[in-house]
Amino acid sequence: MLRNLFYLILLSALATDVLSAEPQRSVIQIITSTQEPDWDSPWRFDAVRRSGGTGFVIKGKKIMTNAHVVSWARQILVRRYQDPRPYVARVLFVAHDCDLAVLEVEDARFFDGLEALEFGDLPQVRSTVVTYGYPAGGEQISYTRGVVSRIEVQPYAHAGNRSSLAVQTDAAINPGNSGGPVVQDDLVVGVAFQGMQGLENTGFFIPPPVIQRFLKDIEDGTYDGLTMTGIRLVPLQNPAYRIFLKLPDNSLGARVDSLLPIPTAQKAFRKDDVLLKVGQYEVGSDGTVLYDGNRVSAAVVFQMAQQGESLPAKLWRDGKEIDMPVSSVVYEGDRLVGNQYDSLPRYFVYAGLVFTPLSMDYLKTFGRNWRDSANTELIYELFYRRAESPETARSEPVVLASVLVHPVNANLKNASRSLVDKINGIRIDSLADVARAFESGTNTHDVIEFLPNHAFETLDRTAAGVANAEILKTYSIPKDRRL
Amino acid sequence: MKITIRFLTMAILTLVCTGGMAAVSPANRTLERSIVTLDVTRKLHDFFLPWSKQVKTVLKSGIVVGPQEILTTADGLENRTLIRLQKGGRGSWWNAEIKWIDYPANLAIVTVADGKFWSGLQPVKLADSMNLSGELQIYRWRSGNLEARKAEFNRFTVGSGEKSDAARVQLELGAEIDQVGFSEPVLMGGKVIGLIYSRTEKVCAALPSPFIRSILDARRRGTYQGLGYFDFTWQPAENPDTLAFLKLPGDPRGVVVIDVPKQSEAQSGLKVRDVILQIDGFDIDIQGDYLDPQYGHLILENLSTRNKWAGDTVRLRISREGREQEISYRMPKAEDAAKFVPEAEFDGEPEYLIVGGLVFQPLSKNYLRRWGQDWKRVAPFRLTYFQYENPSDERPAVVILSQVLPDVYNVGYQDARTLVLERVNGQPVSRLEDLEKALKNSTNDFHVFDFQNGDTLQRVVLDAKELEAANSRVLQRYGIENIHAFSAAKE
Repeated sequence: MLRNLFYLILLSALATDVLSAEPQRSVIQIITSTQEPDWDSPWRFDAVRRSGGTGFVIKGKKIMTNAHVVSWARQILVRRYQDPRPYVARVLFVAHDCDLAVLEVEDARFFDGLEALEFGDLPQVRSTVVTYGYPAGGEQISYTRGVVSRIEVQPYAHAGNRSSLAVQTDAAINPGNSGGPVVQDDLVVGVAFQGMQGLENTGFFIPPPVIQRFLKDIEDGTYDGLTMTGIRLVPLQNPAYRIFLKLPDNSLGARVDSLLPIPTAQKAFRKDDVLLKVGQYEVGSDGTVLYDGNRVSAAVVFQMAQQGESLPAKLWRDGKEIDMPVSSVVYEGDRLVGNQYDSLPRYFVYAGLVFTPLSMDYLKTFGRNWRDSANTELIYELFYRRAESPETARSEPVVLASVLVHPVNANLKNASRSLVDKINGIRIDSLADVARAFESGTNTHDVIEFLPNHAFETLDRTAAGVANAEILKTYSIPKDRRL
Repeated sequence: MKITIRFLTMAILTLVCTGGMAAVSPANRTLERSIVTLDVTRKLHDFFLPWSKQVKTVLKSGIVVGPQEILTTADGLENRTLIRLQKGGRGSWWNAEIKWIDYPANLAIVTVADGKFWSGLQPVKLADSMNLSGELQIYRWRSGNLEARKAEFNRFTVGSGEKSDAARVQLELGAEIDQVGFSEPVLMGGKVIGLIYSRTEKVCAALPSPFIRSILDARRRGTYQGLGYFDFTWQPAENPDTLAFLKLPGDPRGVVVIDVPKQSEAQSGLKVRDVILQIDGFDIDIQGDYLDPQYGHLILENLSTRNKWAGDTVRLRISREGREQEISYRMPKAEDAAKFVPEAEFDGEPEYLIVGGLVFQPLSKNYLRRWGQDWKRVAPFRLTYFQYENPSDERPAVVILSQVLPDVYNVGYQDARTLVLERVNGQPVSRLEDLEKALKNSTNDFHVFDFQNGDTLQRVVLDAKELEAANSRVLQRYGIENIHAFSAAKE
């Protein structure tokens, strides 16, 4: 009895809403079936999972949502406000680094009667926003209201190795809200995308500058990515260091402490250069700029540029101010350190030995505590070697991911899940080297050497050759390689 | 109802206790004259605050082993300020001193100068074989009574001590006893079969008597040079293809050498990919074990401390390219092992050097251990990784900026910590002495500190002229006595 009453109230409230032209009509429910690959058995996929997210209609009969809502999707279904019928959608553009995606719907009728939402500007801190979405806990659209708590650079969890401008709000953002619009005065001022464990009443949304930058990036039909200039800026607040660099004693200028291996950065910058200004923004001694009323990392200015774009900058070098244009470029050198999506893991199987490139995704197969359980050499190689000794770094370190047990390899006990140094005398700099090294072997035995202490294993080449096909069949591996 | 149950439990407990406590027998009367208590006061160092000193007192056991000689473990004796002995579990305390101590072997001989102390004491025998068929008892003084607890033999394994990586045999015992590991003797048939030095969960680890005897005998003969170790690395030869590849004739056996330090190769001629078949006449199996006449199957590493000491020669029978040959391998000293993360000096003060609030310390095991029981997980990865790297002539050791004591002088650097120092004023730095020299020899107005490449801060600049004033301010504000502490052992 009580239950019925509750439904009635809910229905009547919705009925009045339908009459007015409100943003919720353009908010889309997204139901995704995803299937992720298994990074230590790279030809396999995990079970299909169903997950829900939110999206909203943007100009050109498209739907905007988060990249993480549609990553590894096998099928994407979209539903309109209060319309039970599901439509099939597909990804048109996806930007994993800033967690945004644009979808299109095969059946054009889907957009009949739907209006595109317009974007607003970066909302003011302390102003009120409302999130629209389909979070867990029910089937119907849900609204939450909150204030803009603060605006700064936050790590973007989806990519894992990128940070960008994000807005913190106390409006509840829960699983399923992802990709939904955050609205102020009928304009979209953000896309809800992540929460933070351990903090209460905090949700984060992607603000208009990042969204606009993404939309501009895809105008030419391809997404290039968030850009950077390749310098690591650190605060310059010690008086002695400022005098050492002959800088005036004020609150301007952050120091270039190190450079990434990006040619344009290596060419333009030196260590101990001081960045005084970039674009129209003066750089503070803590490395921040005043961006629309908020102090945020100067990296934001570089990030808002497009691939290859040049920004005017003012540097302090050798006691003098110099004007220099600096390039902002997409950096892929740290690809293996971040989470990878939508491109299948690469591997090579030989006599049951599964080789795969060392990556963050692979390390995660050690479980949540991968830092404790993974071989320390893997962690050093992936996270430290390139920065510390680029001359010894490999372009794509390869790991023996697992051994598919068979009599031919049952005695190999010295090296599973270790970093591969050489095979048949050939140094392994990439997965392609593994295939080449085994295929060019001429001795009676294949010799696989591992890092760090030269442990090695051997295989009888003739027996390995015979076992190969049998192992692929036993373990249902469609192909011995994906290079 | 409840009361009945509790009463029952108590009754059982009492039973267990009487069962565990050996009745005072004539044998124990003799033992009472051989076991003494040590009260050791020592300085305790905090490697996060290397200038701060605390004092700690530990009680441990010792056994009389010879004329004016009491044997105990070396644990707890480092940085001692006072050792006192008590006999018979009661009565007065006697000032004692160390006659001999060896931290890697974890053994010490303590003595008392006052002759009156020795009256009524009598030595106990250390067993020379490990035939553990009888009942094992752990003894110690507790509140004036000699307590005896039953122990069960688990197994022999090869391990290493807290203060050394040198491998040596250990006796694992199961026993229902708390707070042991302080050199309590384990006896069987009136003879000491081991000294307990650690306890985890329900397993006590003891140094077996034959191992202790071999060191004490060598010490008396003057041939004990400290524990040695094998500095080569090997892998098991469980893969028959590997032995075929290395052309070993006959049945699978031996282990495969995968790494030999340069100086060791030059001395012994041992090479990577040699198959070690025998060590000192003991056959090595494909897992790397040998059959010890005393202890059963043990890993070959134990042959580095089985009646052989640093500087002694070990005979290796190896197979190279299918031909067997004999090699003489001279054992290096465990303490001399070149490591990036050494044990801090035994009995030494923690070293540090403060530069305007920036605290520099040598990277050491003790520093890493300060991060807690699970320091291998908790300590910064980059620092713990030095354990796996090899020092070189150019870089024999590592100095780190461990923390910054905030002062107006170092403003802007207050968040810097656990950075690896590489150069100061352009000079490479591996030790605190290098750092001190680089600061002293500079005539510039600034001191420039360069840290290791990576994703952390790489450069810090300080005002050279203001340094002295900043130093005295920091010392005063943080209550520190000295701006630096260098180990006395170093020049």
